[in-house]
Amino acid sequence: MNTWHAGEPSDGGTAPEPDGRPERDAERLPGAGSRGRPRRRLDLAALVIVVVALTAAPVGVFGYRAAHLRAPAGARVVEIIARVPEQGGFGPDHITLQAGEAVRLRISSPDVVHGFSIPGLGVDIDEIYPGKVVEVDIRPERPGRFPFACTRWCSVDHWRMRGVIDVVGAPIQGGVTPDGVVATQRPPLYQRLGIDLDAMRHAAADVPSGRPSASAGARSAFALPLALSSADERRATTPADAFARLRADPSNSARTDGEIWDAVAWAWLKDLRPDELAAADERFARDCAACHGPDGNRDGPAGKNLPGLAKMDPSLPRGPADFTDAPQMLAASDALLEGKILRGGMGTGMPEFGSLYTEAELRSAVARIRLFTFDR
Amino acid sequence: MTERPPPGRTRGYALSEIPIVRRALRSRWPQFGLTAIMLAFFVLAIVAGLAGTPAGNRNFGIVFVWIVWWALLILLLVPFAGRMWCGVCPIPAPGEWLQRRALVQPRPGGKLYTLGLKWPRPLRNIWLQNAGFLGVALFSAVILTTPAATALVLLAFMIVAVGTSLAFERRTFCRYLCPVGGFIGLYSQVAPLELRVKDPAVCAGHKEKTCYTGSDDGYGCPWMVFPGSLTSNTYCGLCTECLRTCNRDNVAIFARRAGADLLQTSGRRLDEAYKGLIMLACAFIYSAVLLGPWGELKEAARAVGTPGWMAYTAAFLAINLVVVPGLFWIAVRAGRWLGGREGETSSSQIERLATQAPPAMAGATLPNFRVGAIASSLRAESGTVSAGRSEGIPPVEARGEIASSQTPLLATTVPSLGGALLATTAVNGSARVTARGTRPGRPAVRGMSASTSELFAGYAAVLVPLGLAAWVAFTLSFVLINFSYAWPALSDPLGWGWDLLGTASLPWTPYAPGLVPLLQVPVLLAGLASAIALALRTAGQHGQRPWGALPVAAFCTASTIGLLGLYLA
Amino acid sequence: MSLSRRQALVASATLVLLAAALLAPLPLQRAAAQERRIKVSARSFAYEPGTVYANVGDTMVIDLESEDAVHGLYVDGYGVSAHAEPGRPAQLRFVASQGGAFRMRCNVACGSLHPFMIGKLVVGPNLPWLRAVAATLVAAAGAIAVFWPRPGTK
Repeated sequence: MNTWHAGEPSDGGTAPEPDGRPERDAERLPGAGSRGRPRRRLDLAALVIVVVALTAAPVGVFGYRAAHLRAPAGARVVEIIARVPEQGGFGPDHITLQAGEAVRLRISSPDVVHGFSIPGLGVDIDEIYPGKVVEVDIRPERPGRFPFACTRWCSVDHWRMRGVIDVVGAPIQGGVTPDGVVATQRPPLYQRLGIDLDAMRHAAADVPSGRPSASAGARSAFALPLALSSADERRATTPADAFARLRADPSNSARTDGEIWDAVAWAWLKDLRPDELAAADERFARDCAACHGPDGNRDGPAGKNLPGLAKMDPSLPRGPADFTDAPQMLAASDALLEGKILRGGMGTGMPEFGSLYTEAELRSAVARIRLFTFDR
Repeated sequence: MTERPPPGRTRGYALSEIPIVRRALRSRWPQFGLTAIMLAFFVLAIVAGLAGTPAGNRNFGIVFVWIVWWALLILLLVPFAGRMWCGVCPIPAPGEWLQRRALVQPRPGGKLYTLGLKWPRPLRNIWLQNAGFLGVALFSAVILTTPAATALVLLAFMIVAVGTSLAFERRTFCRYLCPVGGFIGLYSQVAPLELRVKDPAVCAGHKEKTCYTGSDDGYGCPWMVFPGSLTSNTYCGLCTECLRTCNRDNVAIFARRAGADLLQTSGRRLDEAYKGLIMLACAFIYSAVLLGPWGELKEAARAVGTPGWMAYTAAFLAINLVVVPGLFWIAVRAGRWLGGREGETSSSQIERLATQAPPAMAGATLPNFRVGAIASSLRAESGTVSAGRSEGIPPVEARGEIASSQTPLLATTVPSLGGALLATTAVNGSARVTARGTRPGRPAVRGMSASTSELFAGYAAVLVPLGLAAWVAFTLSFVLINFSYAWPALSDPLGWGWDLLGTASLPWTPYAPGLVPLLQVPVLLAGLASAIALALRTAGQHGQRPWGALPVAAFCTASTIGLLGLYLA
Repeated sequence: MSLSRRQALVASATLVLLAAALLAPLPLQRAAAQERRIKVSARSFAYEPGTVYANVGDTMVIDLESEDAVHGLYVDGYGVSAHAEPGRPAQLRFVASQGGAFRMRCNVACGSLHPFMIGKLVVGPNLPWLRAVAATLVAAAGAIAVFWPRPGTK
């Protein structure tokens, strides 16, 4: 057989000769070329290596996941995958939990940035980044329905991305529920007043020539009638009607139209605290600006293809409402606007926020809309 | 200890004779260990692709295959180590282990347990690899960005490789099917190392040719190459089996001047020429579609099945198979007109050599049709001009037979314009090889004179440095930007929220984006200079005046400016 | 590769010319710097306009808007970035002090083609590109001159 040089000085140091080089013996690697136990042992070792190479990934991956997924104190783990609505939205979008159960939610996204919010349970996650997993622990204390929603614009159909958590069973002792969302409470104002949200409203006859200023109205020491100074009463009135009423009041005959409009603006904005305004700005940018436009003039990218009022009357323009259209906005009462936000638009493309907003958030949202026609 | 070269032949420094390297190569365990590690990563990439997050940026499969492995391959391994990846590639490994029924130590006699079917003769070229590469490249907008698609492609490769190993002989998959192998082989000609025999005279006197047939110490060359007649890296997969099997210790890996394989440009093959053209065309297309600012192109490339995608596919195939080869053909034709022909053409040299009778090789155990080929190739090598590059494919007289048997394939696969021009041209040199070689009744060439087709294939050598430089430049532009995805992918390979190594939150950070053009320009210019040098050499080797190389030089210059325009303009 | 004296001389001359093409300062007329305000609209997976043009020294104000999801805009070479989503536009402000072509990339994962969501900022005059073209022509001519076979050899 042949001998190989194993890197050591060769026996005799044979120089290579062409044609007629002496045959050399095969290198005797341990167990090479012969049967017997040393060979079988090496073969076995090689086989083990191959098996490990083939199984390391699946075994390691799924084993680690099984071990890693155990949440603290044996809490139940619920995985939610957030996809763009065109690909299915939340999966699952309907979850049933037991009151008092400790649950770990693991939310991930395979495509774009989403948000995740369960207002009724105090969960508000700003960013679910594609490929990263966000974990949040919840422990619902009372039974009820808790809607959840995506809070970052993930596609033009983002507003459809909703789900609901049903909590069943007996409430635990001493459980506290945060502010409920409007949809789970008593009938909203527009229903109690009998306002038809979908009726065409006449544009306001009188519109201010400039932008009314609420601070100017505050300074002018107007004596507002109760109908305007009480928030509950005011919400049933339109700003145009308020102007007409103030204008008709003889005690205001010395005031200019501009001053009266300032007083109207003040009436509508005086209850909005600065911190509420900041939160309302944020919510407007998050929920409304994509369709209505950051400036309220319906130039948002997601609103371009929505039917809008054309759904009811094809002669009307498509797309979302224009908050800068003073004649229209001044002829709408807060109750009407709140109703539209709560209920959504019946096929116009306006989503419903009744499952997401509390009463306070709703009122500040309307006040934020008024800021497109009034100055603070 | 370095092997002293025998007197009369200089081979260069034998890297494989460095003691530590020699030990590592003789023992099968290091290579086996590396292959097993690659296999483990391969399986992880598939698992991550199928079960992990569809977000490609957080998926081990996408990040480590198309960014890390690809960068290592095209920036380091291929230009500096040739086909070394093939030596540790996990794709053929399970099939080969099943074929050999051995993992490390070989079975006696180098016996293979396979159906042993021979690959059909008309397919013994790289046309299938060209088609495979075009297929993967066409769907690359989907494959490179969708983990599940990557996983399925990898899985398909492995299944085909295992199936091929069980049905056909040796590494038929690697030799004739693997799309990666198609271009690794072509570009490995640039590498500064090569596996060759130390002394061909030893091979001439060696009856058994164990490097090819196998022995108790190892298997015959899995790439079905005869190491004794290797003159080019293209078809040697650096598996170093022959190093172990040769019982005359006559095989070694040598350091050499980079690109030495390209210096011989006669007798080049059409399928390799097309590979070079396809790679160059795809470098353009990738740079424009994936890295360019034209969103409609990307959308068309991604939306499979839509009319936009069909238009994209048509354009893609036209550019690869007709436009770029057509432009190159025009350059070659113009060069022929400018350069004229002087002296003996290589085609007439082949005729001369083909008429020599092979020496008697009685008692040889090799398949018959290779016997005469090896002998005559050895004689040809020791003669003046080699009858083309030998990769163990039977040259000369048997070559004519292969050439004519390839013609039906070419006529059917190459689309009409290219087909009319190039169909029936012989791959290995001139179709006028020998009246003995061509089948009776079939004309030698249709539609183009032999010398232009020979020139076309010969000049295609310039596409090797040009194309490699283009792919290096393209790769640099996305690797440096996206390499930082590798760190989170190590800690969270499936995007399941893990943090194994603490790097899961590292943000995307482009590395030195300003450096990219500074690297791309020298690389492209080096490729251009090499290509032009080769073009001038080709003109000389085909008996043309140097002016004949100028149109091809213009083609190379225009390509370089085009690529630079996509990167810098 | 052993070069003859003539070849070495020509090669050296080529390298000198290359260096000049790539590095020599050029007295170019520059347009007056101004403030440029451009609206760039991002959608999956492209920017509109795909290419933004400017002159060296301009103050760039890019109003980034998104049409469908959260997108980012990161400018190679300048390293500035901003994120935007529908309803929340962002503004990017920087001085285009360097000439050349710079890629604008999305740096918020936004779907499958996210790594290829690319636009271009071309700050003219695009000296790097012009230099590269000049260098290419010099290199080509030089290679032809260096590797031209000597008369009498093949």
